[in-house]
Amino acid sequence: MVKNFDLVIIGRGSAAFSAAIKASEITMHQAKIAMIGYGYLGGTCVNVGCVPSKYLIEAAKVAQNQRYPKYPGIKSIEPSIDFKKLMNSLREVVNNERENKYINVLKSYENIEVFDGKSSFISNDTVKIDSGEEMSGYNFIIATGSKTKIPDINGLRETGYLTSDTVWSLNYMPESLGIIGGGFAGLELGQAFQRLGSHVAIIKEHETIVKGIENELGNELIKALGEEGIQFLLKRKVKKVYKKGNKKIIETLHGNETEKIEVDEILMTSGRTPNIDNLGLEKAGIKYSEEGITVNDKLQTSNPLIYAAGDVVHRKYKLETLAAREGATIASNLYENGSKKINLQEIPISIFTEPQLASVGYTEKEYNEKFGKSMSRTIPLNFVPKARLLRENCGMFKIVIDEKTEKIVGVHVLSPYAAEFIIEGVNAIKNNLTYLDIINSTHIFPTVAEGIKLTAQSFYRNVSKMSCCME
Amino acid sequence: MKSSVMEKKVTLRIFGMTCNDCVKTVSEGLKNAGGEEVSLSLDDGMAILKIDDVKISPEDIAKIPVFGEKSRYKAQIRKVE
Ligand SMILES: Cc1cc2nc3c(=O)[nH]c(=O)nc-3n(C[C@H](O)[C@H](O)[C@H](O)COP(=O)(O)OP(=O)(O)OC[C@H]3O[C@@H](n4cnc5c(N)ncnc54)[C@H](O)[C@@H]3O)c2cc1C
Repeated sequence: MVKNFDLVIIGRGSAAFSAAIKASEITMHQAKIAMIGYGYLGGTCVNVGCVPSKYLIEAAKVAQNQRYPKYPGIKSIEPSIDFKKLMNSLREVVNNERENKYINVLKSYENIEVFDGKSSFISNDTVKIDSGEEMSGYNFIIATGSKTKIPDINGLRETGYLTSDTVWSLNYMPESLGIIGGGFAGLELGQAFQRLGSHVAIIKEHETIVKGIENELGNELIKALGEEGIQFLLKRKVKKVYKKGNKKIIETLHGNETEKIEVDEILMTSGRTPNIDNLGLEKAGIKYSEEGITVNDKLQTSNPLIYAAGDVVHRKYKLETLAAREGATIASNLYENGSKKINLQEIPISIFTEPQLASVGYTEKEYNEKFGKSMSRTIPLNFVPKARLLRENCGMFKIVIDEKTEKIVGVHVLSPYAAEFIIEGVNAIKNNLTYLDIINSTHIFPTVAEGIKLTAQSFYRNVSKMSCCME
Repeated sequence: MKSSVMEKKVTLRIFGMTCNDCVKTVSEGLKNAGGEEVSLSLDDGMAILKIDDVKISPEDIAKIPVFGEKSRYKAQIRKVE
């Protein structure tokens, strides 16, 4: 028997939850919604993504501060780490978050029915779950997320590897870790493991660590992580991987030279690929490519009654914030007759390393390529009084403005707490502010966030010669 | 001058109705906006009405004040014949 719904959502992650809850709110819990998926409720973010990674990063920070206290007079101690205990606590936090923010939340929404299984379209208005159940809907949202892209490397499967899905079940700390691919997850986990006591090497085919970020910030971040002991093996193509005793060997090609590194574990962070296999997209008339599902600016696929949100959509970045925003936007477009669009230039990104990299809008290169001319200013972190008090000097601030209108089009920060205050850049871009508008807003002294104001000031004065009390 | 009429039958899925008063409010809203032969079911939230497309389009009927931003009622166009 086919079950009928107003809205069928394929997926149970961030995009799906956001869409289902917003749609329920708008329709006074009257839209009949099906949410289909497999694995733990909540999808990537809570189970194997944002939540466990940020937990491990914070724990590793504590170990690092014990080992290298920043202030003279405070004695360094080698942290004593019970890795299994730490990982047990991480898993407990994940379970609690899932329970409180997903499982329990759903109890308030009787209109949302959750189904277990993999599903695929059998026509343009019906999907079938592998259990045999069929659901038809007036509208659909495809929110099936993404998975780690595993390149075809000789011997990889036989040798075994970890991904950001499996690394959380580790109970012992690998003495050495080879991370293949950089990216957000590779850098974040790489630093966390290094700080917890592992020897980490990050192997990348390209010279840049994350595609699409300001190069100077990326290079500074590599420098900072390198100073902590992470080995960056850039411009290396992994040729093969094999086992030697208890160790794993990664053989790479650097120019014409073959190099080998020996590690205890391999972690693959070689990009993400959208979950579009076996979804029967052709049967519903949905266009897609290897990069994901194609949507218009209202998030409709090539079948106007079917929408897509989150990591499965063809996008530059894959983020929880974007997935959730897309889900809520679709709900509004469906039930409030909206034609809401998301301006991707207003979506901030962050790499939660230390220092943190946070960025919003265009890089200088992107803006120049697209619109002609821009102006930019970059200041080093040590121009910011608070950074000096924190005894931090690795980092920088960069603002990109349109040359004619002087409106801010990009804000890029590498500093402590950058993710906490990049919202100032988001608001500047969203509200078409100029650098003068930033200067004319009073910032708290002393904060790292003042770096944004100082960078704005540097468009017209030499901030290295300024008193720190000048507005 | 000849006035042209472009009659269309519109089926709407209406959300937010919980009682007969709601049905009355929504029906009146639809009629005030030019909807004719309005039939509305509280059970399944479906409404069928006729409109003159010259006066109001199906897209606009879903945006009339009774379905406005602050209203508890929302309408989704399901069929236009
Ligand atoms: C290690 C790591 C750290 C991250 N940290 C951050 C961060 O700090 N901040 C941030 O913004 N983002 C972060 N992200 C990214 C973020 O987690 C994702 O962008 C987000 O979770 C994507 O949500 P989604 O709803 O699109 O997909 P998911 O949450 O992956 O959900 C996909 C759902 O689809 C279901 N599904 C898949 N195929 C089918 C099918 N055929 N039939 C039925 N169901 C199906 C799955 O069961 C799942 O429920 C991180 C990601 C990783 C891996």
